[in-house]
Amino acid sequence: MRFILMMNGTKADFAGYARWSKEDLQRNVAFMRAFSKELKDSGVFVSTEGLAFPDQAKTVRAGKDGEPVTDGVFPESKEFLAGYWIVDVESPDDAYKIAARLSAGPGPGGKPGKMPVEVRQVMSSHTDYGL
Amino acid sequence: MKFILMMNGSKADVEGYLSWNESDRQAHFEFLARFQRSLRESGEFVATQPLASPDEAKVVHAGANGIPATDGIFPEAKEFLLGYWIVEVASPERAYEIAGELSAGPGPAGVPTNMPIEVRRLVTPGSQGGQ
Repeated sequence: MRFILMMNGTKADFAGYARWSKEDLQRNVAFMRAFSKELKDSGVFVSTEGLAFPDQAKTVRAGKDGEPVTDGVFPESKEFLAGYWIVDVESPDDAYKIAARLSAGPGPGGKPGKMPVEVRQVMSSHTDYGL
Repeated sequence: MKFILMMNGSKADVEGYLSWNESDRQAHFEFLARFQRSLRESGEFVATQPLASPDEAKVVHAGANGIPATDGIFPEAKEFLLGYWIVEVASPERAYEIAGELSAGPGPAGVPTNMPIEVRRLVTPGSQGGQ
């Protein structure tokens, strides 16, 4: 079963992260690298991506004449995806265990960040939807 | 430049979609298949991934002793990621154009859904993007 582990945050959360000290940021990045490597070594890794800060985010809708209409204004409460991992594991519980390890990653001063991680099963492909 | 095009929706949005009739759904699938084919042909396709229903979503925190603490309760307004496409394009404008096409996909009775597509730049070093 494949699951996606998502880290989400509001713009305020991102602004808070941007204020971490260099040392705290480095510790967190080192943790993330080791985490990805561990997933690869244990054979459950499928993919990972990190997203640019939400201040560059746009919402796009189809306008008249097919011209895209973009908007960069979002509610304060909007959760933005910061990054994700996709893992291939035997059970939802295995995915939750991996998510908990991610959640325990170091925050300021090296204390566990206890960041919430959203876990969802992913379809194996669009063929599940008849594509 | 790599961008992720995200379809987000609340649980109510997903319920609305599930109430579409068979021929509307079929028309939408065919549109998505054509959309994906055209991205492959233009060489801009990197990856796509549909997610399982938000009903199965869990938020995981690191609990005491590393035991994952899971929660399945979310605010009504929460936007869930329903699926994404990753594209590699020459400019943000091209990503917005592609997102506009996606937003113009047919909804009930063939009327364009005009659904908002969130567009974000990817910053992953050595990005792989899934299937």
